[in-house]
Amino acid sequence: MMRVLIADDEAPARGKLQRWLSEQGDIEVVAESEDGLSAAEAIERVKPDVVFLDIQMPGLSGLEVAAQLELETAPLIVFVTAFDEHAIKAFELNAIDYLLKPYDKDRLLKTLSRIRARPADGSARAAVATARAQTQSRDRLLVPVGETLQLIDSATIEWLEASDNYVHVHTSSRSYILRRTLQDLLEQLGDEQFARIHKSAAVNIASVKAFTPLFKGDYEVQLRTGKMLRLSRRYKDQLFGRIGR
Amino acid sequence: MAVAHLDLATDKHAAASRRLSRTDIVLYSLWSMFWLLMIAIAVQDYYRDGGRQWWQPVLWEGSSLAMATVWLVLQRRVDRRYAALIDQPLRWLLHHIKWFPLIVITFVVSVYSIRHGVYALLGQTYHHEPWSQVLIYESVKLVVFFGLWLGLIFGFDAFARSQEQRQRMLVLQKSLAEAQLAHLKAQLRPHFFFNALNTISALMQVDVPRADRLLTRLADLLRATLQWGDQEITSLREEIRMLELYAQIMQERFADRVKLAWQVDDAALAGSIPALLLQPLLENAFKHGVERCRDAVRIEIEGHRDGDRLRIAIRNTGSTLASGSPAGVGLRNCRERLSVLYGDAGNLELIQLPDGVEVLVTLPWQEHRA
Repeated sequence: MMRVLIADDEAPARGKLQRWLSEQGDIEVVAESEDGLSAAEAIERVKPDVVFLDIQMPGLSGLEVAAQLELETAPLIVFVTAFDEHAIKAFELNAIDYLLKPYDKDRLLKTLSRIRARPADGSARAAVATARAQTQSRDRLLVPVGETLQLIDSATIEWLEASDNYVHVHTSSRSYILRRTLQDLLEQLGDEQFARIHKSAAVNIASVKAFTPLFKGDYEVQLRTGKMLRLSRRYKDQLFGRIGR
Repeated sequence: MAVAHLDLATDKHAAASRRLSRTDIVLYSLWSMFWLLMIAIAVQDYYRDGGRQWWQPVLWEGSSLAMATVWLVLQRRVDRRYAALIDQPLRWLLHHIKWFPLIVITFVVSVYSIRHGVYALLGQTYHHEPWSQVLIYESVKLVVFFGLWLGLIFGFDAFARSQEQRQRMLVLQKSLAEAQLAHLKAQLRPHFFFNALNTISALMQVDVPRADRLLTRLADLLRATLQWGDQEITSLREEIRMLELYAQIMQERFADRVKLAWQVDDAALAGSIPALLLQPLLENAFKHGVERCRDAVRIEIEGHRDGDRLRIAIRNTGSTLASGSPAGVGLRNCRERLSVLYGDAGNLELIQLPDGVEVLVTLPWQEHRA
């Protein structure tokens, strides 16, 4: 059974997709969302196999939703749009599934058979990577706050701390826990603003205040907030090179 | 029709040109050359007749020059008041000629006072013909002089005004063309169009009458767009009809998310308004309100006549001024058209409300004649 989530801000558009998908024996529509943020929450909650994601939605666009997903665990995404020249070009280039509104049943069936025939070929990754390239996903990060999700400005992040399958995102005011890998998070946020300091931690370069040498080439990093972190020698050269030291 | 509107904007331009205009500079240059010539001739004449005190002809001409200049400066200052009349030369002329008796009296009195005064200061006496002759002689001279310069001034002003009008027509045409283009783009904006088609495609499976209605609305809007010619001014009734077509389509798409309220006074419907002025404003309300806000949005369109003003307000909840981008093409174009057509009498205000944004358009009331 293929579990599908539909995200579109127009009720008639959701209805059409829901009806045609439900006619398929192997598909179950597990959730519907009418805006970007609740689509992101639903993806997190119901973990669908496939998401039909409308691009133009209030709050968070479909591309922004996809950009905030983890590369490795993201569901297959079929973007749906009325007209987005720029994005469509990128989809074509990266062989990403998309539907152009209005579409007929044949077109939808073609997309479905492509999805069914698809082994784990990394197309989910490609969709997320393309969405990241199409949006300013470096500047904003979607974090859980209680039951809901919230966007924070990535400049407010002080440092990132990995533990098991989670990453703790520390800002000056509070911390958030994300179920993502540090590697993936750094890939999204980009290496201009963030740098690894050891295997399971990274800092926002702008919030570093001072370095103090320790034994064996390790350093101690002091953040603006006073927080002390260890900089392992493995990442030292890279970081010093970046900040011109 | 356009020309009648243009007059309203003249005052604003007058205020802006308190400094010397190009016309004034040319006029004053000619004036100076004319008087230099007059003085030179007078001095030559004086020496040929055996005179030996060069200051005498200079004083005669100089005193005339001083008074004439006072009158020219005064004319230039009030000139703008008569500028609108320049299309009716006879009335323009009469308005100037009515000052002539006053000019003659002040001229003769002041000029002869100056001459007598200066002679007396130098311990001499100024000799001239009896006053009755002086008055006749100076009047005849002034008529010729006055006529000559009035003709020149008329020529200059008429030229300057035609230049100014041409400039304004160009600006008006440009902003109208932009509005037309923006409108076409908006109506045929792929996003709007394809989304509407998709809504029809979705609805026709479950609700044929509704799908049919939406399809008809879309056709109406496209037809109205294609028919919409180059008319610059339309009635509020017509403008509101276009808004309704657009709003109906948007409402079908976002039925559960948007509530529209129309409060347009019947009395206001007959008013004239630049065509397609309001369309981009309503689009903004949908774009910033409905398409970006998760909650239900309320859009209110209000129009009423307020004495000699027509006021139209478009309000939407769900957005703030700060969150919107800086004034886009739509708003800029709208402001430009209002300013070209109505000067200071037309304006567009953006107002931050506690729960949304209001765009308030004010323009002079004019009954629309088709």
